[in-house]
Amino acid sequence: MKKRYWRCFVCNDIHIGVRPPELCPTCKVVHAYVEITAREARTILGLLHEGKDFEPEDFRKAIETFTEGNPFMVNPDRERVDGLIGGILGNESRHGLKYCPCRLMTKEVEEDLKIVCPCNFTIHETYKDIEKGECWCSLFIKR
Amino acid sequence: MSKLIMFHGAECPHCRAMHPLVDRLEKEAGIVVERLEVWHNEKNADAMRSYRPLITAKCGGQLRVPTFIKVEANDAVCGEIPYEKLKEWASK
Repeated sequence: MKKRYWRCFVCNDIHIGVRPPELCPTCKVVHAYVEITAREARTILGLLHEGKDFEPEDFRKAIETFTEGNPFMVNPDRERVDGLIGGILGNESRHGLKYCPCRLMTKEVEEDLKIVCPCNFTIHETYKDIEKGECWCSLFIKR
Repeated sequence: MSKLIMFHGAECPHCRAMHPLVDRLEKEAGIVVERLEVWHNEKNADAMRSYRPLITAKCGGQLRVPTFIKVEANDAVCGEIPYEKLKEWASK
């Protein structure tokens, strides 16, 4: 299924997906999304983007919030996580996205999106059906 | 003895954990391992990509590090593995 681009006509939220959201998560207006082009989406996101990259603590907070309510958490080994976050943000700086430092880009977009942190590690053999499962790089571990 | 390559990432904790084991392997088993860092060296990254069919078949469908390659035997193993297992695989 090909993903398309959608814009909320009230608050300009951008959604990328096969269909528009019923309810805008930001302004709560229903049936608010109209289809736009990829170029329009890039332009709007570029205009709204403040141009500031995450500092390590920003990313740490983002992934800690992400894990809330999930059966996994950020690895409590602070030193290990610091090193991984350094690698992830370094990869973003040099290669454009937060690529996992324990895997390598193939240079195929669809494949490489699978290694952007957080990746969908819940389907990986290092996590799924394993009592002490973790993502490949061990940034996330089962609770 | 087959040529051995270790593809690794500078910020990968599993790779860091494997370096002392590779040091030991070189010292005790006399095996020379060429270590190629792939996130800070594009030539090394391309070298790893050139083994993509072999690596992905052995490593969950992805280019994961650390990955060890036996070039002549066309064999690969990846991840943080115990020394004895690495030695047995490397010496086969």
